[in-house]
Amino acid sequence: MLKDFTRRWGLSVTALAVGFGLTLAAASQAEAKVRVAYGDIASVENLHLLAAFELAEQKGVEIEMTYLKSEDIAAQAVVSGQADIGVGGPYALIQKVKVPVRLFLQLSTLRFYPAVNAEFYKTWKDLNGQEVAVHSRGSGTEAIMKLMEDKQGIKFSKISYIPGSEVRTGALLQGNVKATIVDSAGRRLLQEKAPGKFIILPLDGVNATDEALFARQDFLDKNQKEVDIIVESVLTTWREVTKNPAIVAEWRAKYKLLPDLPADQVAEITPYFTELAQGKAFPPNGGGAAAAKDDFAFYSLSGQLQGDPASFKVEDFWALEPLNRVLGKVGTN
Amino acid sequence: MAFPAQANGSPRAVRSSEGSFFWRKLSEHRTALWRTASIGLFFLAWEIAGRIPISFAFPTFLETLDAFIRMTLDGSFLAAYAQTLQPLVIGIAISAVIGVGLGIVMGLSRFAEWLIAPVFVVLQAAPMAALIPLITFVYGIGLVSKTLAVIMLALPVIALNGYKAVRNANPSLVAMCYSFQGSWWQRIVKIIIPDASPVIFAGLRLGLAAGFIGVILAELLITPTGIGDLITYHRSVADYPEMYAAVVSIILVSTLTLAALEAFELRVLRPEKRRS
Repeated sequence: MLKDFTRRWGLSVTALAVGFGLTLAAASQAEAKVRVAYGDIASVENLHLLAAFELAEQKGVEIEMTYLKSEDIAAQAVVSGQADIGVGGPYALIQKVKVPVRLFLQLSTLRFYPAVNAEFYKTWKDLNGQEVAVHSRGSGTEAIMKLMEDKQGIKFSKISYIPGSEVRTGALLQGNVKATIVDSAGRRLLQEKAPGKFIILPLDGVNATDEALFARQDFLDKNQKEVDIIVESVLTTWREVTKNPAIVAEWRAKYKLLPDLPADQVAEITPYFTELAQGKAFPPNGGGAAAAKDDFAFYSLSGQLQGDPASFKVEDFWALEPLNRVLGKVGTN
Repeated sequence: MAFPAQANGSPRAVRSSEGSFFWRKLSEHRTALWRTASIGLFFLAWEIAGRIPISFAFPTFLETLDAFIRMTLDGSFLAAYAQTLQPLVIGIAISAVIGVGLGIVMGLSRFAEWLIAPVFVVLQAAPMAALIPLITFVYGIGLVSKTLAVIMLALPVIALNGYKAVRNANPSLVAMCYSFQGSWWQRIVKIIIPDASPVIFAGLRLGLAAGFIGVILAELLITPTGIGDLITYHRSVADYPEMYAAVVSIILVSTLTLAALEAFELRVLRPEKRRS
């Protein structure tokens, strides 16, 4: 009985050891690749990023994309070392969890459009005492609406939470909500489906990071060459898209990106990027210290960051070295 | 594992009368004692795991406890449960009425069983987390969707338990009703339903347990409100102790509710089972 027992356990321990060894071997092999964790599915909205990564691959950096359910899962993957670079804006995580994760390249700023049903509201003042719908508690959309509350001297009766810009757009079209905030795809859908029925309220002075690349400081230190190539690829891609938004559709064909995209979405690629390029949505200089300062103010308001924004230090949130090295090479724009 | 006081001839049990009194007292409460020890050990393991730490996002037990007390005192739990309980209570009430009704009908009629039971068996086996997002396509994102999520989880359990309870009503009691020339109606109302009531009630209790799962799934997958909002919000701003405290609170609330219902069931409906 005892012998039998030890034999059985002996076997499983061996199996375990072999398995562990294999895992380790696989892990060390995978180190040559840069693993990027993205907190959403691949779509038209990140075609330019995929193109930038293709460019980086041509320069010798192998990139492996993983698509995860949400941005904070991507952040957790980076912190635990299961991914090297994450996409998002994990300011709260960097502040509260003492792990050396740093943002190193701003990819986009928040582009949202407060949309109201023209039957009921015309201006910001009309929203005084009314209900508005935003993405979620502590989100950028909520912060934008709160910021406008302050600026316009109004007070919403209630802020309700409806995750997903497409869901809010649908709710607006169906008449379930009368005032909300949508993304550029939602804005175009509103204009297409019901021209003139909705008013986009003016929004100024909001300039916060929507997505950025971030990684652990030790990864940034150890892989300077790869990181520089990625930063440079993104910056040159962003500048090209700003100059010629139609190029994204060409890249999609050239690199065979998102081959299964339905035709109606393919048709949207160029208008989408044209609109963003006109709105200067692609930071040509990768954000850096100036972006960090804007983010401190904005994310403090949204509740992501806690404390006095003036007391935050850029180097506690950003690793500026890769960006500075690359800007030294390609110049500021 | 026996206590020395119970082990015959244990030297410690007879050494001093004071000691034996202590052990006797202990053994009287030993179930409670072991249970407390089990929970205590779990918390200890949690605290150690949090201090290692196994993950940067894993708070220690004490941090979570601190967050739990803070959130209880500042009323966030109270406000959250006021929201979470709405779809739960409505959903369970609807499921109870429809589920018990259908269960009895299925138990009494083979035809109804063939017609209805397969639907519930399939529903019970279906992975609900995958189906809940589909509700939003039809019913939107409001209270109706969340209540439906609760019903989808609770109704099959309640209906199937009711059906089995009625189908398996004690045949000798039914035979007795026949021999006393009881009418069809009397047989159902005075014999079958009272005899089935303990199992029907147990079904309701299990239905409530499923309803708790349903409401939390709905709050995490449809729109974050109540306790689901506390979990998502604190996760998104990296307040992990608060997030864990919210998770623990829902476990606590559902466990206590179910334990209370079980105690009620044993006391009122199944007095014969209390000793066992």
